[in-house]
Amino acid sequence: MATPVSVLRLPKGPDSNSRGFDPKSPRFIALCRTSIFTSAASEVDSVELQREQQARSVLRETFLRCLLSMTNKKVQFHMYEKVKVEATFGASDIDVLNFQVSDLHTPIGVQKEALIRSQDVISFTFDV
Amino acid sequence: MQCGWPLLGPLQWIRYVNKQVTVKAGKDEEHHGWLLTVDPVSASVVLVDFREDGGTSVQVVMGHAVEEVQVLQEADEETADRLRTSFLSPRTCSLDPEELRMRRRSVRSWLEKNRVPVEEEGDELRVAGVLTIRAPYGPEDCFSSNQTVLDRVQRLIQNLIQTQPDCPGLIPEHKPGLMNPSIRAQQQP
Repeated sequence: MATPVSVLRLPKGPDSNSRGFDPKSPRFIALCRTSIFTSAASEVDSVELQREQQARSVLRETFLRCLLSMTNKKVQFHMYEKVKVEATFGASDIDVLNFQVSDLHTPIGVQKEALIRSQDVISFTFDV
Repeated sequence: MQCGWPLLGPLQWIRYVNKQVTVKAGKDEEHHGWLLTVDPVSASVVLVDFREDGGTSVQVVMGHAVEEVQVLQEADEETADRLRTSFLSPRTCSLDPEELRMRRRSVRSWLEKNRVPVEEEGDELRVAGVLTIRAPYGPEDCFSSNQTVLDRVQRLIQNLIQTQPDCPGLIPEHKPGLMNPSIRAQQQP
């Protein structure tokens, strides 16, 4: 196995303490919605709201089980600028904004542990 | 520019479930597959592809990158069943109860020989009150919030497997434990 490279840090942002993950940065606020609103129709009709919540929980549960089945598996991330990297999936945060991975294979070496911003990812794929 | 996919909402998204779709993403990516689910938090689309060699591959397209979703066809009964059950159930243990009991006993003896405090709790082994080992008692069946203990116990069990891979009932010669009292004293309570 390739020797891991030393930890890489992104350059500091203009507000001097963020490395791309600061929840108060304008980029984060613009791109990373962390609350979901119910649809306009559901706000008026409680039956509709119930249906929407039911659909929401079914969809979310399936998605969470999918994430669970991904743990410790090799995953290929397709990112912007035609970047394709492979890593072992660790976990996602609750808003699916960051992915924790191990053994990230990059063109400049293997990162032992890394956080990948979901905003940088187009798609990812794995075998069950 | 981003299309309206993330804004559709759960009632619209759920209508795409169990349909074969083509998803256009990013600048020029196209993904095909059976739509398993759409995450309501990130609008990410989960597609399943059943390969000819019997394997299953899963592609997840992030909600923010989705440009277009086109429905090709509806899943038939068999495919819908396959989607529902094929891989998302938790890993089930395929050993019979007697084998499991022997393996549990073997792992427990090994841990005790290495001076690790372990108790049996039903089908599980409980280590030092902070770690649980479920069937079939392999390194990946250990659960704990204490990283140090988890690491040590996993290594111990790995050693056990490596010294006698096919005989779950055999107890190997005593080896110096990784958990000796001086190291244990340094662990978090």
